[in-house]
Parts: sequence; C-alpha cells; structure tokens
Amino acid sequence: MENHAVLVDLSKCIGCRGCQVACKQWQDLPGLKTQNTGSYQNPPRRNAKTYMLIEFHELEKANQVQWVFAKRQCMHCNEPACASACTVGALIKREDGPVVYDTEKCIGCRYCMYACPFGVPMFEWDKEFSLVSKCNFCVDRLDSGEQPSCTKTCPPGALKYGTREAMLDVAYNRIYTNPGKYIKHVYGEREVGGTSWLYISSVPFEDLGFPKLPERSDVELSHTVMHLTPTIAGGMALALSGLYWVINRRRQAEKLAAESTKESHDAK
Amino acid sequence: MLSKIWKEAFRQPLWFYPFVALAIFGTGVGLYRLVVGLGPTTNLNDGYPWGIWIGFDLFMVAFSGGAFTLATIVYIFQIEELHKAMRLTVLTGLLGYLSVLAILAFDLGRWDRAYHFVIYPNINSALFEVSWCIAIYSTILITEFSPVLFHKLGWDRALAFVKRITIPLVIAGASLSTLHQSSLGSMFLVMSHRLHPLWYSPFVSLLFFVSAIAAGMATIVCATTLSFVTFKRSLDQRIIAELSSYLPWALGFYWVLRLGELLGAGEFALIWSSGNYSLLFLGEVVLFGVAPMVLFSMRSIRMNRWASFLSGQVVLFGVLLNRFNTTWLGFLPVEGYQYTPSWMEVAIQAGVLAATVVVYSLAAHYLPLFEDEHHQAQPVMAKS
Ligand code: SF4
Ligand code: SF4
Ligand code: SF4
Repeated sequence: MENHAVLVDLSKCIGCRGCQVACKQWQDLPGLKTQNTGSYQNPPRRNAKTYMLIEFHELEKANQVQWVFAKRQCMHCNEPACASACTVGALIKREDGPVVYDTEKCIGCRYCMYACPFGVPMFEWDKEFSLVSKCNFCVDRLDSGEQPSCTKTCPPGALKYGTREAMLDVAYNRIYTNPGKYIKHVYGEREVGGTSWLYISSVPFEDLGFPKLPERSDVELSHTVMHLTPTIAGGMALALSGLYWVINRRRQAEKLAAESTKESHDAK
Repeated sequence: MLSKIWKEAFRQPLWFYPFVALAIFGTGVGLYRLVVGLGPTTNLNDGYPWGIWIGFDLFMVAFSGGAFTLATIVYIFQIEELHKAMRLTVLTGLLGYLSVLAILAFDLGRWDRAYHFVIYPNINSALFEVSWCIAIYSTILITEFSPVLFHKLGWDRALAFVKRITIPLVIAGASLSTLHQSSLGSMFLVMSHRLHPLWYSPFVSLLFFVSAIAAGMATIVCATTLSFVTFKRSLDQRIIAELSSYLPWALGFYWVLRLGELLGAGEFALIWSSGNYSLLFLGEVVLFGVAPMVLFSMRSIRMNRWASFLSGQVVLFGVLLNRFNTTWLGFLPVEGYQYTPSWMEVAIQAGVLAATVVVYSLAAHYLPLFEDEHHQAQPVMAKS
C-alpha cells in the first residue's frame, strides 16, 4: 500500500510561507485580519482557519541570532490519539497514512484537542455551531495522484513528499552525507509510535518547541484498558449476582432456622 | 389544578426562591450561549478547550456514585438498615446525572448532534463508553425511582413489576457504574503529554472508580442530613453512622493505590517539588484523605448529624478538587494560552446546580422519600 509521507527539512526552509498560503488556497480557508505582534509569525498561533503555520524561532547560537522556521501542522500519526479518543469516530487513520476528519459526524466535544500529543485540532470558537478542524493531508489531491498543496509549492524544496520508507531514507541520507549539519534525529520516526510527517533539523527540536514524546503512544495503554473494562463490568455483574445468591440463601436459611426454633419452642 | 400549584408555589421555604431565580437566570444565559456559540460566552480556547463545566460534570458523576454504592450495599449485601436511605439517594443520583446531561448540552459545539454517539460508535473511545453508560444508567435510575411515583399515583401493577426486577436492575446499574465511573478516568489515559504526572496514572480508571464510591458515601451522609435539617425528615443517625464507618477504608484504599503508583513510577518526590501542583495535590491529600479519614474514624463524629455532615462536605470538596485538577488545574501549561472561567460559564453552571436543588427540594417535599411515612399524613399537596 502506498504510504504517503512528507519530510520537512527545517534547514532548507527560508520562511517564505508559500506553503501557508498554498494551504489556505487549496483548503479554501479565509484569511484573517493581521496584527503586528512584533514577529513575522502570523497569525501568532494556529487556529481553526489556519491548518498550518510557519513558526519563526529566534535562537541564539555562538552569540549570533539565528532564525529557524518550522512548519507545523497535523503529524498524521501512525497511532493517532485523536482518532482513538473521538467519541463518534469522526477522525480516522487511513491505511495509506492520512488522518482524516469527517465534519458530518463530529459533535464538537473537543476531546481530540486534549488527546493529540501535538495539540493539533483547533476549534471554531467564532461560530454558533462549531466543530474542530485540522490539516487533512490534502487527501483529495492524494487520491487523484497529486501531492499536497503545501509540498508542491515549497520553492527551496524543504518539503519533500513520497512514501514513508523513501522519506526516511532521504532523511538519513542527508544526515549522514552532511556530517555536523543536522541533529542526528528524525523527528516523527519513532515519536508516539511514528508519524507520517517527518522532520530533520540543524538545531535541537526542543529549542523549536517540538514536544519531547515517548516512543510508545498512550493509545496502546488506553486501548488495553478500554477493551478490558467491559470484561471487568461483566465480571462485576457475575460477582454481584453470585454474592446476592449466596447471601440470600444464607439469610433464607437463617430465617428458616429461626422459625423452626420458634416452632419447637411453641410446641413445648 | 393550576391554582393549587400557584398556591403551593408560595408555600416553599424561604431559601427556595433565590435558587429558583438563579436557575432561571442560568437557563437564560445558557440559551444565549446556544444561540451565539461558545466563543463569545466562554473563556475556553484552543489551549484549554475544556473548562469548569467538564470539571463539574466529572464531580457530579462521582457525587452521584452514592446511588449505585448504596443499592449494592442494600440489595446485594442486604444490609437492610440502610434501605431507608435508598429513595433519597437514588433521587440524588438521578438529579446529578440529569445535571451532567444538561451541562453537556451547553458544552458540545454541535449539541444538535448529541445523538451521534448512538449512531456513530467508536468503541476505542472512553468518552463514547461513558456516554452510553450514562444514558443507560440514567434510565435505570429513573426506573429505580419510579416506585415512588407509581406509589403516589396508585399504579399497583407497575409498582409490582418494578419491585420484581429490582435485583437485576441493581446489578446492571452497579456494573454500568463500574464501567463509566472508571471510563471517566480512562479518558485521561491518552493525556500523558498534558496532564501533570501527579494526576496522570496508568491506574487512573481504578482511581476514579474508588473515589466515586467514597464520594458516593459522602453524598449519602450529606443528603440525608440536609433533608433532616430542611424538611425535618430523615434517617436515624445510627444508620448513617454505620455507613460512614466504611468511608475511611474506601479513602485509605484510594490513597494506597494512588501513592503506591507514584512510588512505583519513581515520581514520589514530585509531591513536594512541583510548586503549585504540589499545593493542589496536598490539598487533595488533606480534603480527600487525612481529614475525613480521621473525622469519620471517630464515633462521636459519626453519631453527630452536623459533624458528619461537615465531614462529608470535606470529602466532596476533596473529590471536586481532584476532578478540577484532573481536567484543568493539573494540566501543564501551553504557551500563549490561559484559562479562567467567564462569568457566563459560572452563571450557567450555577443555574443548572440551582435547578437541581429546586427539583430536589420539591421532590423531598411532595414525594414519599422515606418509606415508613407512606401511612402518615401526606404532605400539603395531597391535602389541599
Ligand atoms: S498529530 Fe494529533 S491530530 Fe494529527 S494525527 Fe496525530 S494525534 Fe491526530
Ligand atoms: S471534537 Fe469532534 S473530532 Fe474531536 S473528539 Fe469530539 S467529536 Fe471527535
Ligand atoms: S497537507 Fe494540505 S492541509 Fe496539510 S498543511 Fe499541507 S496544504 Fe495544508
């Protein structure tokens, strides 16, 4: 099965935000009123109408200020916590990689927003009837053999689209053929069970606000417990029925005994 | 009939009317929220998409745990003396769950689609399981409470039928409660990245279940006392003392589990080294642990209505703090976001709680909540 993935090479990103615009265009998302916040990062944070954001990080390296730009969007996890959490199954992991969202099912409970380890789903706070939203990997484009809108646009080729295996190869190739340039870590290869979006960078990911996450996703534990609970409840029902039966019998017996002693007493 | 109701409406105790006012006001704000959406009315945001409503929901469910706890004690373990508290506790539980459902309606972004959890199941989701259990369990609670109404209406056949299925109902109710009380905790299993380790635990489901039993016992103690004070109708204090003597055990078990997990995970030192989180945690240790365990171990306290009422309150505040910590205060911060509830959130919450109190008070007034009073003179409504 084709396994769509994207490799983001942060060292190649020039912060032009072409992808951000391309995403809005393809996804038909309205622009937002801009505000000067003292940074080129705009809007200041992702939101329901901005599936992806180029973050502008100012880092100090050897007494020099260095700008690092980081494209952030849904990671399309292999074991998506959002999909496991969703009450109504509105979020689904497709076999070919993308985690897609069904606006017709969602009830707006916002559980996915807390479940996602990357804080991806955002809520439409400005609507009367609101849903969440997130990057859908441009599945409509993928399905017709195209690549995502953002990766297609990227002028310096910082976004590379392909299969996950191929992208991992490219990532390690770049890391090992450019000694000293990259951190030896492909972010997303192992984090929470692996993601379809992969990152390489010349600065540590912690400095860019990428969460430090374990390899095991919480989803495993959660599924184990969730699949266990019905058994426990069934066991509870059985145990209580059994207890009731035993206690009831004992009480009946006690009653009988009491009556018979009373009778024998009366007979005397 | 109408004029009768009208007359009755002015014969309630004085404290009743402010609650009615608050309920009406809260409902008004709630309707406004439904019309304009969550953004303009709440302080919820993308970093804190859940607020006090969810905290209260989780608290109310634990609070209502009294219903299944008592039902199990009375019908399965057949401790008959406690039977008298049944109706009152079932009513408390029922109203608790109804208030949760009401608040949920305000909380959902698409409340008009609330039924989707029935037609689009996701069996991996803890919230899905919780919704199902709460829906079914509320129905069970209504059935468990129905004899009170059937009795009042004189529907003997229906009464006899419900009485016959009592035991299966109780067993089903207890099993469903086991499920959803623990699944409410399971909801947080996927949040290790966000919930502070003092609250994140692989055993959070079990912790929620046990704390619900303890909170439920406290509810029974408080509810019976309250009905004594306000309506001069309640149980013999000895019965309540008997029940509350189990509370220290439940709380003790809870803390053994919780502290044991921290110890096992090597996170014990976090208890005093986490700044404000430590304070919140220690608050729970005191309110939901040490204080009530000491208090309820004393027979003199258990035998005193007011003392055990206040001690029960301490337990409930403790569990409230725990649920707030687990859904809000115990979350790790995310850059750029903060949350404190808006006045409208508070008003809606207060309104729903006030409405619950109003219904409770009316029921306690007009329905035979204590069985031995069937043959006593019926309260006002029946007479006039
Ligand atoms: S990054 Fe978040 S929203 Fe995207 S698939 Fe993973 S859990 Fe879901
Ligand atoms: S907000 Fe929507 S997508 Fe997210 S968990 Fe709830 S129902 Fe699922
Ligand atoms: S894959 Fe599509 S939706 Fe996702 S960030 Fe790129 S353009 Fe936007």
